[in-house]
Amino acid sequence: MIGASLRAGIDPLSAFFLLTISIIAFCATLYSISYLRHYERESLVRYYPLLLLFFASMAGIVCVADMMFFIVFWEMMTLTSWALVVYERENKESLKAGLIYFIVTHIAAGCLILGAVVLYSYSSDHSFRFDGLRASLAALLATNPALVHLVLAFFFIGFATKASTLPFGFWLPLAHPVAPSSFSAVLSGVMIKAGIYGLVRLFCTLLPISPLSQTWGIIIALFGILSLFVGTISALMQDDSKRLMAFHSIGQVGYMFLSLGAGFYFFPLNPALAAIALIAGLFHMINHSWFKSCLFLNAGSIMYKTSTRDLNKIGGLFQLMPWTGVSAMIASLSIGGIPPFNGFVSKLLIFESCLISGKEAGAAFWARGFFVLLGLAAIFISAVTLASFLKFINSAFLGKLRGAEGISGDVPLPMRIPQGILAFLCVLFGVVPFLPILMGYQAIRSALPEGAFPASASLFGKMWPGISLDFGMGKISGVWDPLWIIMAFMILMGGVFLVARAGGAKVREVETWYGGLQHLPADTAYRGHSFYRPFKQVFSFNFKNIEFRGLYPTTFPLPKISMPQGVRTFLSPDQWLYYPLGRLFMKLTRGFSRSHTGHPQMYLLWIAMGVILVMVLVLSLPGE
Amino acid sequence: MGLGWVIGVSILNLFLALALSPLLEGCGRKLRAMVHSRIGPPIIQPYYDLAKLLGKEDLRSSANPLVRVAPLVCLGTVAIAALLVPMGTFQASTRTFEPPLGAYGDTLLFIYSIALAAVATIVTGAASDNPFAFVGASREMMMHLTVEPVLAIALITAAINAGSFRMGDMVFWYHAHGPTPSMILAAVFFFLALQAQVGKLPFDIPEAEQEVMGGTFIEQSGPQYALLRWSLMAKQVVFCSVFCQIFVPWPMVGHIAWDVLINLAKVFVLVLIIALIDAVNPRLRIDQAVRYYLCLGFVSLSAIVLALAGV
Repeated sequence: MIGASLRAGIDPLSAFFLLTISIIAFCATLYSISYLRHYERESLVRYYPLLLLFFASMAGIVCVADMMFFIVFWEMMTLTSWALVVYERENKESLKAGLIYFIVTHIAAGCLILGAVVLYSYSSDHSFRFDGLRASLAALLATNPALVHLVLAFFFIGFATKASTLPFGFWLPLAHPVAPSSFSAVLSGVMIKAGIYGLVRLFCTLLPISPLSQTWGIIIALFGILSLFVGTISALMQDDSKRLMAFHSIGQVGYMFLSLGAGFYFFPLNPALAAIALIAGLFHMINHSWFKSCLFLNAGSIMYKTSTRDLNKIGGLFQLMPWTGVSAMIASLSIGGIPPFNGFVSKLLIFESCLISGKEAGAAFWARGFFVLLGLAAIFISAVTLASFLKFINSAFLGKLRGAEGISGDVPLPMRIPQGILAFLCVLFGVVPFLPILMGYQAIRSALPEGAFPASASLFGKMWPGISLDFGMGKISGVWDPLWIIMAFMILMGGVFLVARAGGAKVREVETWYGGLQHLPADTAYRGHSFYRPFKQVFSFNFKNIEFRGLYPTTFPLPKISMPQGVRTFLSPDQWLYYPLGRLFMKLTRGFSRSHTGHPQMYLLWIAMGVILVMVLVLSLPGE
Repeated sequence: MGLGWVIGVSILNLFLALALSPLLEGCGRKLRAMVHSRIGPPIIQPYYDLAKLLGKEDLRSSANPLVRVAPLVCLGTVAIAALLVPMGTFQASTRTFEPPLGAYGDTLLFIYSIALAAVATIVTGAASDNPFAFVGASREMMMHLTVEPVLAIALITAAINAGSFRMGDMVFWYHAHGPTPSMILAAVFFFLALQAQVGKLPFDIPEAEQEVMGGTFIEQSGPQYALLRWSLMAKQVVFCSVFCQIFVPWPMVGHIAWDVLINLAKVFVLVLIIALIDAVNPRLRIDQAVRYYLCLGFVSLSAIVLALAGV
């Protein structure tokens, strides 16, 4: 017996992730119904069963309380998602991305298994149960902290690779664009969140609060800021809509890592500040699921209609696809952190908890400076995110209509509804932020088994549905009350509208003015590639022979491995095993098929011969 | 804080930001003309311009509905920003300098409403189908990208000092604690970011009439254009008020009528300074401006370091 049992239970932290998984699962599956018509050459049998199995394994990951089965479900998730990434199996690009994804995630899974086995071997009752592992971690903390660091490092690599934090997340910009858009939405909206779940589980439930969690808080925040910076700035360089969004997934995961790291660091010093940071991380996680899934579905809708992902080839689709356009607009403003959408609230919490730490007397000067600097970098990157998505909106939906010859109307209803649901959730979570914050509060509280946790009213005030933040400093340091602000905005907009109409100006449709000469729109179009050129040049440089575009290495000189012909032949079993066997089998079956002559007499003869053969066999058997 | 106070002060702020801003702009234009040895238009010329534009025919080069909405959003968000900024509104009963909507939104909301105004301008331009407008939109975004960090760092220096992101607390803290090195530095950086925020030379690169013929505004006419111009003027008053209240909160006498007048006088002086810089400077290229503000962003971290050290 290895002491593993399939113990499953749902605490508020699991429920929080289950909510995300189930809503995205519904939206993505509904979207697939129409979207998969785009892939005429592929069989649906290779899509739906795997997709549903994937959702089941995701649900398993967040519900089990046993490391063994956690890893089993983890592996199931990895395998099914790999099979869906390579759904277009004729496409070289997707096969290559799939292979890289497969290898990288399996190395990460290996790290997870290593960490789990080390903990298992030290546990007193030899079990993989979470509470058993927690006890063994607590015992190890006292006797052998170095080993705990090693175990945490293994788990961290495993989770960070799945969550696609740089430098482990380089598989993501390859794998997300080639998957079917409905599944890219799932990859970004659900799968990379498994890493976040693992991290919260590990550092809140399994590891007792200790100086170690402070050290790891700094490390997690550092990796967070790295992927935030590099991921988002390289997203600015992309002209492929789905690749752009994939890079933003790396960047947005950076936000979650940053705020979780701040939470882990400040927990022993200031539980109120830490609680807000941890809740902000979860809140941003769920927000990212809504807007990024929505954006991938939008990109899918564009692909469905125009068969391209290249932002330079399309334009002005807003008139054709108003439904997609409006949801893309809402999701883009959300991810850019524009009020009153959801991204604004979670970013507000992340920024303020990082920045207010400058006032935290208990922390060392360098630590305060570190987190304030990270908070400022996050504000800058938030603007870059906004810029990048305005480029997406501007080149895909605004301007002159391009790349849409011979198409009319928006995408079919099953594709419009999921986009609408997700865009609505973006608005809902922004206008009623207290709801997700309360869920996040319960989740974090349930994940921490002990310790004084501040009451939600003392953290977020009683301004339902708005929030007033108290970072344990005895005063309200930040506020956001959407209802009043939106009401004021509505009144002002009404006033502005009346002023605009006051002059009674007439409206007339005219031609666009191109400077006096007649030009075709195609000649003068300002393509997506041209956006922000001077800004992009600041962040593009060469280092030795590695080319950096937006801080991300685009050409990476890998060491060339040469091997003898014999090894290479051995490594491709297709050549010497599979194909010869297949040919042999074909020959055999062709021989059999010759017996199908079509004469009933012949078949009767075969039957008679068979009966005789069986009888002879039975009679020749030794009797009792 | 009573609802009556909120509404009263809101009306006051809106009056200053929307109704009075063209007058200040007119003064700036007069000063500019004096520098150029011209007589210049009368100082109420911006009112005439707005009134004329509101009645002018509205020419639309695109059927995109966003063209209609975006200018409204632009002025609306600048007006919201005006309600998040203290303009000398000292409240005697609670002894705070809270802006009218200060209890409902803080500095970050202010920063992001300015971002939304920029987004609205960009969408107005990009939705109008004109390639010049696209160039303007791209430049506008780059300016926003690089100037916003400087602005944010200056405001956050004040927030770290005050331990609060509410503008009222920031004013109250600085007024009580006197000038500190970190805040003086932050004031300098905010001032350097001001010229670009209000879209004046040497940083009016997104509009650049001689290069891209108004950039995002090229296809705008009539009431739409009036709203966009008006939002630029209002933005000037809003930003100058932030500077005068948060970074130079003196003198303040503790009576709302006097404080509002003092603030107005300070804003007037600041607008004249901006106009003077505008009149004597040539326009920079966009790549120069990007590099300048990125460097400035790095340098302005020094204010944060001082604030963390508690000075």
